[in-house]
This record gives sequence, C-alpha cells and structure tokens, in this order.
Amino acid sequence: MRPVARSAIATGLVLLVSQSGAAAEADQGAQLAATCASCHRLDGGGTGIPSIIGLGEERLTNALLAYRASESSNHIMHAIALSLSDEEIASVARYVAKQGSNPR
Amino acid sequence: MKSWTRREFSRLAGAALLTALNQPKARGQAKARVVVIGGGIGGATVARYLAASATAIEVTLVEPRQSYATCFFSNLYLAGLRPFESLSHGYEALAKQYGIIVVHESAAAIHPAAKTVALNNGSKLSYDRLVVAPGIAFRDRALEGYDEAAMEIMPHAWNAGQQTRLLRQQLESMEDGGLFVLVAPPNPFRCPPAPYERASLVASYFQRRKPKAKILILDAKDSFNAQDLFQDAWNRHYPGMIEWLPAQFTGGVTAIDAKTRSVITAGATFKAAVANVIPAQMAGRLAQQAGLANRSGWCPVDPVTFESALQPGVHLVGDAIIGGDMPKSAFCANSQAKACAFAIAADLTGSARFPAHLFNTCYTYLAPDDAFSNAISFKPVDGKLKSVISFVSKVEESSEVRRQAARAAEGWYDAFTHDVFG
Repeated sequence: MRPVARSAIATGLVLLVSQSGAAAEADQGAQLAATCASCHRLDGGGTGIPSIIGLGEERLTNALLAYRASESSNHIMHAIALSLSDEEIASVARYVAKQGSNPR
Repeated sequence: MKSWTRREFSRLAGAALLTALNQPKARGQAKARVVVIGGGIGGATVARYLAASATAIEVTLVEPRQSYATCFFSNLYLAGLRPFESLSHGYEALAKQYGIIVVHESAAAIHPAAKTVALNNGSKLSYDRLVVAPGIAFRDRALEGYDEAAMEIMPHAWNAGQQTRLLRQQLESMEDGGLFVLVAPPNPFRCPPAPYERASLVASYFQRRKPKAKILILDAKDSFNAQDLFQDAWNRHYPGMIEWLPAQFTGGVTAIDAKTRSVITAGATFKAAVANVIPAQMAGRLAQQAGLANRSGWCPVDPVTFESALQPGVHLVGDAIIGGDMPKSAFCANSQAKACAFAIAADLTGSARFPAHLFNTCYTYLAPDDAFSNAISFKPVDGKLKSVISFVSKVEESSEVRRQAARAAEGWYDAFTHDVFG
C-alpha cells in the first residue's frame, strides 16, 4: 500500500473517531438539556422562567458555574448545577447554545 | 500492519454511520417497538423522549382519554384562579411532531412472556420493551363507607377531571360560614404538599367570597411536607380560618357517611358542608393485575433503567414506583421518564449511555401571590434512589421573593407541559 493512501485512510479514521466522539458528546448534551427542558422552553418561548435560548456557549457555561458556586441567587439552579461536572456543564452549554429560537 | 482496502473502509464507515443513526441491534427487523401504557406525565414523557432520541424505535402510546388534565395547578382552578380548560392537554403534537402512534384504548392485560399487550377492543400489541405508567389507585376499603357513590358526594379530586369540577361546583355553591373538611391521606401518596396547598388556595377563595367559612384538615399523619412554611402562611394570610388536626389528636379518620356528608374519627363526627376525601393510595390497577407491584402495593424498579424488579422487559415510571427518596410528583415522573427513555434507547440501539440526572423541582402556592419552591437531586445508591442535594424556600423570605416564585411557577407550568405534550 502506498504511503499517501495510508495517510488518507488514517485521516479518515481519525475523522470517523472524532465524529463519533462528537456524536456522543452531542447525545450527552441532548440528554442533559432534557433536564433543562422541564422548566425552560427550548423553543425560546415562554414567560416567567428566563429563556436559555440565544445566550451563547460562554454565557451559559459561566451562568452554570456561578449557580454551582452559590445558593444566593437561585436555589433551584444551585441544586441543578451542583449535580453537574465541569465536563457536563461544557457539554450542555454547547448543546443548548446550538438550539435556535423557534417559538410555537 | 493490515492494509485497508477502500471497500473495508467504507464497510467500517457504514457501520459507524449505522450506529450513529441508532439502528436497532436486532437484524432483520425494521424497527424496535416500544409500547407505553398510560398517557399521564410519566408515560407521555417516555414516549416523547424515545421518539425524539431514536428514529429507529417505533413508539406506541396507549391512553384511553383524548386529553389529559394535570393534577398540578388544579388547586388554582379550585380557587377560581384558572379555567379548567387551561389544565387540559391533548396528544396531537406527540402524534404529529414526534410520530408516536397514539392508541385511544384501555390496556386490558399484559403478557410479559409473549411480549404482548391486550387492549380492551380485543386487539393485541407486540413489543420489544414495555413501559407502564399507571399512576395511582385508591386502596380498597381504606375508609369505611367511601365507595364510588360516596365519591360523587364527597369527591377526592385526586385525579384531575370530573372529580375536580365537582369539588369546584360544591365550593362555589357552599354558603358563607360553611365547614370545608379535607381528609389528608397517609404516606406515601401523590404529591406530598398538595393537600395543604389545596387548603391554602381554597382559603384564599373563601377569604374573597365566603369570609366566614372554615377549613378543617383531618390528617392520617402527625406531620406533613413543608409544615413550617404552610403554618406560617396560614397565620399570615388566613388567621383563624384553617385548623389542622393530626392523627394523634383524632385517632385518624375511620369512616365516611356520605348520606350526612360526615367524616368519622375515633372520637368524633364532623359534619361538613363540603368534604374532600383523599384516600390511601397504591400503584394503579394495571400494575396490581400484571404482578408489577409487591406487597406494599407499589412497584419495585431498578433505579438506573426503571426496569421492573418483578417482570424483566417491563419498565415503570411515575407515581406507581417505589421511588426511594423521590416523592410522587409530576416533576419526578418526568425526570424518571427521561432516564428510562435514554436507557431503553441505549439497550435497543446501542447508543451511548451517560449517568442519569434525576431531580424534583416543585412550586407550591400558599396564596395567589405567595409561592415557595424546592429543588432536590437524586442518585441511585445501592439499588435505591437517594436524595443528594436538597434546597427549599425559607419561612423568613420576603414577600417579593415569594411573588417572584408565584410568577415563575406560571412559566414553569407552560414550559413543563410543553416538554411533556409537545
């Protein structure tokens, strides 16, 4: 087998692996976001509970980290955030940030 | 080194793609079939999340009713603060947007060995996995004299629907100065704060419309959920209107006399103008008939997959299960249902598994503009669901914080029912 072909295949395999890694991460994000959806509408609609749609990954991550650090602003979000690892916070923030606003 | 050919490579890529598309493990079968019995909060949530997360699973939801009325927020309806229609949710979105096959029939029997469900119309459904979400039933002969006929005179209103409307009619037509007796059930029962929220909101209605009326709670227990928060609110909002008698004072309610609309305890008889009798509970009838409940009357399950400990291949979620530290609430049913749906999807399609996150969040009204909330997270520990973190509102909170919680509760209802029914 020629080296060029081998490297092309190797690249392909790396891509495959990283894609299935990304798919798993997206699945984890989706499963964690299912928890958010019990109180926050993921179509961007609703009132009374602040929307988490359209905030961006960094803001969502920082909000969850702040809720995890302190009970003072909201004990519900404190309890939720305390149950999440750093990796889970990153994963759910990335997933929710990708959800577009489409209120019904 | 093995030299890879293009064909082998595409075969590998194809296999990875198939996994990514969540194909069922079993070859030669187009789709894995999951049947969900019961279109309440637990059942509808399982169906929705299974259908949304795995296109390779065919989901059938069996529910005789055309729409579901929520028990949560029905106390607002009883207080005249919300129309009944706002509690009612149909199954159209689950069918149209998620492709769930909704069958409006009752399940007559389950045959776990044959993996079939018999419906009341004589037809049969086959399944690879079955989810049963039967809710609650009332224990037979829990209260002497409280039969079906008595329920039409002294409603339980513990399954939302005609019973809830009946209780509202009775409260509306009650004369000022009348006595409303609420019989509160023994543990465990559906929604621990709900009898006391009901007393609070009925008191707010009386205060507006029948200020001389009184409320008497005859409890089967000696203490109740969030008692400090309720008793603080009753003193602040409705001084002298609500009296709570624990079982140790009355000896407990022993019988009901529907003819005289009376509630009988060991030492006294209380004649009511309106009575709301909430009896002792157990898992829904189908769970009892199908051998899914143990001697406690409730259903033991695996706390990770929610598979029955008594019948392999059958999963249970919601009020019917032995939930360990998880209360019997709509929020818990919804949370368990998601964990159950992801576990079933992983089993049937080989999709990745992640640790489940189980929660209860609850908003409870003390008055129309005064609500408190709690939040608890749970984890499976040694085969049981244990609470890990728990926070609840405090008695000394400002009225502004409580007003905000009452507003948040409205938003929660909207988001939650969207999550369940689409």
